[in-house]
Amino acid sequence: MSFAVEPDGLIRLSWGRGVRITGELARTAMARVDEINGETGHPLLVSMAGTAELTREARMVFGRRCSATRIALVGRSAVDRVIANFALGVTHVPVPTRFFTSEPAAVVWLRKPG
Amino acid sequence: MTGPHGPDEHLDDYAPGPPISPNDERLDGLVQFVVELAAGRLDRRMDPSPADDRVDAVTVGLNMLAEELQALNEDMEVRVAERTAQLEAAQHQLERVALYDPLTGLANRSLLGDRIRRAMGQAEHGAAAPAVLVLDLDSFKAVNDSFGHTVGDLLLVEVADRLRAIVADTDTVARLGGDEFALVVLDSGPERVLDIADRIIAALESPILAGGHSCWVGASIGVCFAIRGQAADTLLRDADTAMYEAKTRAPGTVQIYEPAMHSAALSRVRLAEDLRTAMAADQLQVHYQPIVELRTGRLAGVEALVRWNHPERGPLPPESFVAVAEATGLVGTLDRWVLDAAVAQLARWRAGVLGDTPFDLHVNISPMGFRSPRFADDVVACLARHGVPHGSVMLEITETQMMGEDAQTLQQMETLRSAGIGVAIDDFGTGCSSLTYVRRLFVDLIKIDRSLITGLDTDAHQRDVAAAILAVVDAFGLAAVAEGVETAAQAETLAELGCRYGQGYLWGRPVSADTMTGRLRQSVH
Repeated sequence: MSFAVEPDGLIRLSWGRGVRITGELARTAMARVDEINGETGHPLLVSMAGTAELTREARMVFGRRCSATRIALVGRSAVDRVIANFALGVTHVPVPTRFFTSEPAAVVWLRKPG
Repeated sequence: MTGPHGPDEHLDDYAPGPPISPNDERLDGLVQFVVELAAGRLDRRMDPSPADDRVDAVTVGLNMLAEELQALNEDMEVRVAERTAQLEAAQHQLERVALYDPLTGLANRSLLGDRIRRAMGQAEHGAAAPAVLVLDLDSFKAVNDSFGHTVGDLLLVEVADRLRAIVADTDTVARLGGDEFALVVLDSGPERVLDIADRIIAALESPILAGGHSCWVGASIGVCFAIRGQAADTLLRDADTAMYEAKTRAPGTVQIYEPAMHSAALSRVRLAEDLRTAMAADQLQVHYQPIVELRTGRLAGVEALVRWNHPERGPLPPESFVAVAEATGLVGTLDRWVLDAAVAQLARWRAGVLGDTPFDLHVNISPMGFRSPRFADDVVACLARHGVPHGSVMLEITETQMMGEDAQTLQQMETLRSAGIGVAIDDFGTGCSSLTYVRRLFVDLIKIDRSLITGLDTDAHQRDVAAAILAVVDAFGLAAVAEGVETAAQAETLAELGCRYGQGYLWGRPVSADTMTGRLRQSVH
């Protein structure tokens, strides 16, 4: 898992290929996002291409409210799509969250005002 | 299928990828995986291949669905377990309500019946037949009347605790209702059963502290030893019969059931039925015993006394059928019957013989009658029906039965007295509580018991006792009637001591209305 922050505050979270996102990892990631954001909320871009698994516990963690104002999940493969589907569909998401296969499209959506 | 931020709305740039070969071995693996999931093995997972293609997407999707279903299943199982526990608790609660007495926590009549049946079943397989004990507290009503129902309830709880402490865990203690309890003693010989009965008597002999009051209640116990094959109901009934026998013969004792008791109980029930018929058919008679003013010898009134010439059994002593009337709840009807007959007779005497001559009619009323909420109104209505002035009727209530100060009795007494109807305490000197009534002026007249009159003319001590009682009566500004006066010397002594009236064989035994009419005629003219 790695983090980068754009000058306008947009946070990029990249999961390494083949990673199994457990509840523990998810909690660490969300804590880090909260830490970066501080008092102000910013959009979050999650690169999840090649993620091997997203556990139920991790999906529950992502279902809790965090400091991100919007979340874009970016993947490529059918596997990414299915995993994103579960993250978005089975669990209620607290902030606007979408799946993209195009990172530029995701960034545009994240930076869209309102 | 999803909310406003769902996945389907933004997947149009998704590229399906290269085609999948129908011979792809992973498809067989998927089929097997689905079969296992369908068989309920939701813990199975299938590893996706490194190809990361659509077959792997299906594999990952199935893995996640299985995980979701497994979690939901587990969650459901936890909820089912919780609900089952709640249902079991509710069931347990219902059973307690249905089978246990809510006040004392003892078994109720229903559970007691089950336990007796079970014990009888065990006796069929070699265990000793059970014994059933029925016990009734002897002075519970007085506690309730004197200190109120809250104290009465606390007392019952303490009695329950004492009973529990006496028997073995395998035995059953039940509350049948009111102040009546029952015990089933299992697999024991008569010695142990009677030892338990004796220990209960002893345990209830010491005072019970309830709500800050020290209460003395004894118990009368009936014991019935079961015979193999006997029905549970008859076992309980027979123990109850024995208890009734104890209560009537010697309260505070233990009686063992004998078949003769059952016949006696049956006979009482029949007598009650006959009494009902006798009242309906006016087969009872009222006899009258004179009450005389000691100073002048004037016939001041009569006491009405019920008599019953039973068509088959002949003349019955009043105490025998009055006791049956009290035990069967007929006593109120009997009181009203006697009152009505006597007041009707008084009306005839007033019209034919007495005119306005001062003359009192005394009628005995049971304490149960006094406690009936409509009693005073019924008396007033009876006098109105026969056109008899209120001032010439005096109702007598026995001292020993007037225990405590229950509000209902006091209210009835007050209503009667404000209507000008007199209240007298009968058999004064045999009880212990009626000074309260005297002190608070709930009565008009005291009838001194015959036991205090016997030997009055020969025994100096007896004379002092009578003098003391008459001084008390005088201090409260009441009049007294001495009962059981048999000699002129007794009458003279009583007159000297300030007793106003006398009643007894000296002036005549109870006689029929006709005989009394003749006597009144002589007395007036």
